[in-house]
Amino acid sequence: MPLPSLAGLTQKSVVGIADLAVSTNPNVELATYSLGSCLGVSLYDPVSKVGGLLHIMLPDSSIDPVKAALQPAMFADTGLPAMLHAAHKLKADKKRVQICVAGGAQILDTSGIFNIGRKNYESLACVLQQHGLSVQAEHVGGLVSRSMYLNIATGEVRLKISGQPNERILWTS
Amino acid sequence: MDELDSYINKVKKLPPMPPMVPQLMTLLNDPDVDSEKVVKLITYDPSLTANVLQACNSALFSGSAPADDVGEAIMRIGFQQVYRMVVLVSSSRMLKPSQTGYGIDEGELWKHSVATAVAAQTLAKELGDNESTAFTAALLHDIGKIILSQALEHIYKKLVEETEAQQAALVETEKRLLGVTHAEVGGRLLTRWKFPPNLVTAVTFHHEPGSAPEHQRVAACVYLGNLIAYSLGHGYGHLAFAQRGRADALDLLGVNGDDIPRLMIRAQENFAAVQSLLQL
Repeated sequence: MPLPSLAGLTQKSVVGIADLAVSTNPNVELATYSLGSCLGVSLYDPVSKVGGLLHIMLPDSSIDPVKAALQPAMFADTGLPAMLHAAHKLKADKKRVQICVAGGAQILDTSGIFNIGRKNYESLACVLQQHGLSVQAEHVGGLVSRSMYLNIATGEVRLKISGQPNERILWTS
Repeated sequence: MDELDSYINKVKKLPPMPPMVPQLMTLLNDPDVDSEKVVKLITYDPSLTANVLQACNSALFSGSAPADDVGEAIMRIGFQQVYRMVVLVSSSRMLKPSQTGYGIDEGELWKHSVATAVAAQTLAKELGDNESTAFTAALLHDIGKIILSQALEHIYKKLVEETEAQQAALVETEKRLLGVTHAEVGGRLLTRWKFPPNLVTAVTFHHEPGSAPEHQRVAACVYLGNLIAYSLGHGYGHLAFAQRGRADALDLLGVNGDDIPRLMIRAQENFAAVQSLLQL
């Protein structure tokens, strides 16, 4: 009996908190869920069709260098270089990559003490600048948590906002 | 009977908290606790005992022989850990269902509650406070939402819109629309279930620990545990972050803002272990 065709089926590959994934498989969609104050960063090279997704938890690796060595994706300053390196190995070109960012929610805080979301964003902006990269599209801050999806075949980035029924397109390659 | 009681009385099918949970909590605070007394209390409920044993055995190192009874489980993993298993098993039935009045899907309140419990326990351990008290209070901190969900079902849209438009905390909008908050209702429910006053206070004041007349530290532990759980993405609903920053909560605990990232890492590590145990 012939095997059923799997063409057209997209396989969801989940990127956990403080983790990253890169892929060239057009049947794969990278997904990361529940971005609270964390940041999701997607990368896509539309020519080599390499995609990556990163789930950053904290801004600065200097608070725990041991953890950063084991799990570079946990921090903005080590996570982005780690994803760029992994994507480069799959033939992604830094000059062509499109970057999208989502997450970094903030509670209502005038004291400025609970500002992990904002600090994550500032740290990421700094690292992106160091690498000469700019952000194509972003949906950051505010009171909502988000999930983020990157389709490897098309480079499309979608968002699901917690408590809202429909997904929305953040970027179309 | 006041407004808090009337909301609680309106809920038709509220799964009961086994009365032995608050009794166990009281025993827990006794340094000379008699473990036979504890075993007797737990095993009074056979189906709970079976589930607790199963959870304890999952927590044992893989490859080691399972514990056959509660007494053996206490000997091998300790009274405090067995107690936490009892609380988890007892509250899961209540916390797992969806709460449409808050836009909470099935399993979301449970996951958030466990994450908050683990974060609060992590804080308590770091700060030298009672871990099991912080764990229990944090696990049950949103129990009032089960009561108010029904009342909010028809005005959920309004709750979200008003919160967003006024950049208010969700509890503030609850108070305006219903006259009560989930924190107050939760505290009253725990009083009815005969939980000790420190637990009741921690739940009632988990959004404003500095206003608690006493037991401010445990309330602050739950407050910060709650924020850490949300930050790590273990939250739910639209406008999940609609809550106030309380710098005085950190002062109460003697925690500096710069300590939070490190505490988040510890909480996430501990949660990952519990996550696989409970298959969350």
